[in-house]
Amino acid sequence: MSTFKSYKKRLREAARDPKISVALERAIASYRKNVEEALKKFPHTLKMAEKVRRIKERSISHMEELVEKACEAIRANKGKAFVARTPAEALEIIDGIVGSGKLIVKGKSLTGEEIDLREHLEERGNEVYETDLGEYIIQLLGIKPMHLLAPAIHVPKEDVAELLSRVTGTQVPPDIQAEVATVRGILRDKFFRADIGMSGANVVAADTGTLFQIENEGNIRLSTAAPPVYIVLVGMEKVVPTIEDAFKVAEVTWRFAGYTVPAYVNLVSGPSKTGDIEKVITYGAHGPKEMYVIFLDAGRSQLAQDPTFREALYCLRCGGCLYECPLFAVTAGRFGDKYFGGIGAIWTAFVTGDLAKASPLTYSCLSCGRCKVRCPMEIDSPQMCLELRNRIVAEAEGGPSAKRS
Amino acid sequence: MSVKGERLVPEGLLLLRNNILSKGNIFGASSKAKWAKGLALSPQGETLFFAGCGYQFLDGAEATLSAVRALDKRGLPWERTLGATSLLNKLGINLGEIYGRLTHHSPLSDNPLRSAVEVLKRMDIGFGYFAEEEPCCGGPLYYAGFQKEFADRAASTQRTLHERGIKKVIGMVPSCTYALRELFPRFLKGWEVEVSHFLEVVWERMKKGMRFRLPQEVTVTYHDPCVLSRNLYVTEAPREILRSIEGVRFAEVERNNKEWSTCCGGGGGFEVIFPEISHTLATNRVRELLNTGASLIVTSCPGCLIQLREGVKELNAEGVQVLDMAQLLRNALPEG
Repeated sequence: MSTFKSYKKRLREAARDPKISVALERAIASYRKNVEEALKKFPHTLKMAEKVRRIKERSISHMEELVEKACEAIRANKGKAFVARTPAEALEIIDGIVGSGKLIVKGKSLTGEEIDLREHLEERGNEVYETDLGEYIIQLLGIKPMHLLAPAIHVPKEDVAELLSRVTGTQVPPDIQAEVATVRGILRDKFFRADIGMSGANVVAADTGTLFQIENEGNIRLSTAAPPVYIVLVGMEKVVPTIEDAFKVAEVTWRFAGYTVPAYVNLVSGPSKTGDIEKVITYGAHGPKEMYVIFLDAGRSQLAQDPTFREALYCLRCGGCLYECPLFAVTAGRFGDKYFGGIGAIWTAFVTGDLAKASPLTYSCLSCGRCKVRCPMEIDSPQMCLELRNRIVAEAEGGPSAKRS
Repeated sequence: MSVKGERLVPEGLLLLRNNILSKGNIFGASSKAKWAKGLALSPQGETLFFAGCGYQFLDGAEATLSAVRALDKRGLPWERTLGATSLLNKLGINLGEIYGRLTHHSPLSDNPLRSAVEVLKRMDIGFGYFAEEEPCCGGPLYYAGFQKEFADRAASTQRTLHERGIKKVIGMVPSCTYALRELFPRFLKGWEVEVSHFLEVVWERMKKGMRFRLPQEVTVTYHDPCVLSRNLYVTEAPREILRSIEGVRFAEVERNNKEWSTCCGGGGGFEVIFPEISHTLATNRVRELLNTGASLIVTSCPGCLIQLREGVKELNAEGVQVLDMAQLLRNALPEG
């Protein structure tokens, strides 16, 4: 079956699945209510979003330079920093640090998803635990995430109870409290026994080398602090010039993700250290002794050079656009590959370089434009989808693309 | 196009392109002005009434799309049916028209264009209509990714309009209006035609004090077509129009109105690539609209009309009608 045909089949099956549309209907209603309340409580967010758009514009046009600066800052903080040009390069670097036979606890990371990081580590004989609750459920089910912030958005509590009963060998009731407690019990021990912790980052400050992670569960705190070795995989587009800029980016991100204030924002700049005995700096106090940061390119530097599609790199991954997409409301993550929705079509085209994969996504966009109204960065994904179609046609015909006058 | 290309670009859109390139309209039909039969519209005038494919072939489109949907739901290869449609069209047989006659969905006299023409005439707004010679805006080519073909089509449309001395256009279809108003200036040099949408023209004139009244009171909600609200920013005119028609109780849809309006599921060629899902989205939108308690849904786009009517049918919404704004206005024209 061609990519397009099998995609269509999957999309249609999703649209026929009432579990997805019912779950999404609830999620959309609560998201809209939360954002509205968050923006009412912190009305400065809208003005701040405009500033962040300018920060992102500046950052993307100096991406290489900023990543270099961030690497230097991290090294000065006694962390190790790398730039991986391809997913294969990133995996090679990670393999070099991890090896095999390790216990790994992982925070949810789209960038990790992009390079199939967990699957890769498991193939190399490591035991890997996703520690975000939704992602953990997804891992146990052996399926793909359906939403970037709420990967198990389509799985009801009854299914979760059944799943956890199977995993623990005891009867877990279909009660959300009990389910959360069960997972806490399972993962608690893993956090402290783990050899390696892994996560992504929402934004990175180039001047201080500080990584920001926004979360609510506390799993990222534990994954990044408890194990002796900590590895971060982050897209190059996440770097901004200063820590002050990074705070702005983070605040706009969480607010448009529907959180008035998130439970945690982690700021990590280097390995754990202490100077408490004779003022001698010693690494690996309570947190990790070693910290590795890998900046992933994988098409991003090419995207940054492309005036038509550059805007896609301004995406903060707040997920707001997905709640406004009428197609996502009935198909969830089936409208996407690793990245979802209209913006996901653009990301797929550039990070995979595979137009056969990107084509069905870009032709799925209704070009209705409501995502752009929601987007704090005002990213015009529908317009980019139309431009991508033009590229695809040009590619298919083997001729040059039509130029705008 | 190479075999590889066939796989990258959806078949439905390739057919659409071929229809525009061979027949100058999206359906590959041989006649586009049948709706205007008996109206004796003049082709002369500095202002052009741009009817657009969507309205001119409304009946056929509605029938074809519902046939395609029926096939898609059963998992049958409807693309081939569309292919057969274009083949039949080449032989001069229009499948859409045949379906239209068979299903007898809406008589020709119901075409919103006839209402629009009547309303404009009563408002003393002069215009010419090119009938069979109306050029295609090429918008669907642009949406499908054929920008090169779109640019060629736009240039030829520009020549036609220039030769015939057109200074202004009244667009009926939102996407044609968008193509002529926003895309043409991006692709062409020296495009100076002033393009307005029907609703803007009507509201300009209504503001000056023309009274409309419905024979009986009715609760009306309005569906914003995406292109009209989010691309052309025409959101106030339709609401002002509705509020000033006597007998209309205007009920705004909750939250999802104006720039937050929900798409009817028929945008950007989606309906010919994913017919079944498009139908689901139409139904979802109609559900939102019916929450207002309205018995009449008004919109101003042929694609939305078809979609919303399908949604109403799906929900078995008794006594609910979907009308084009032009039709509502015609029903509310003052006596005489």
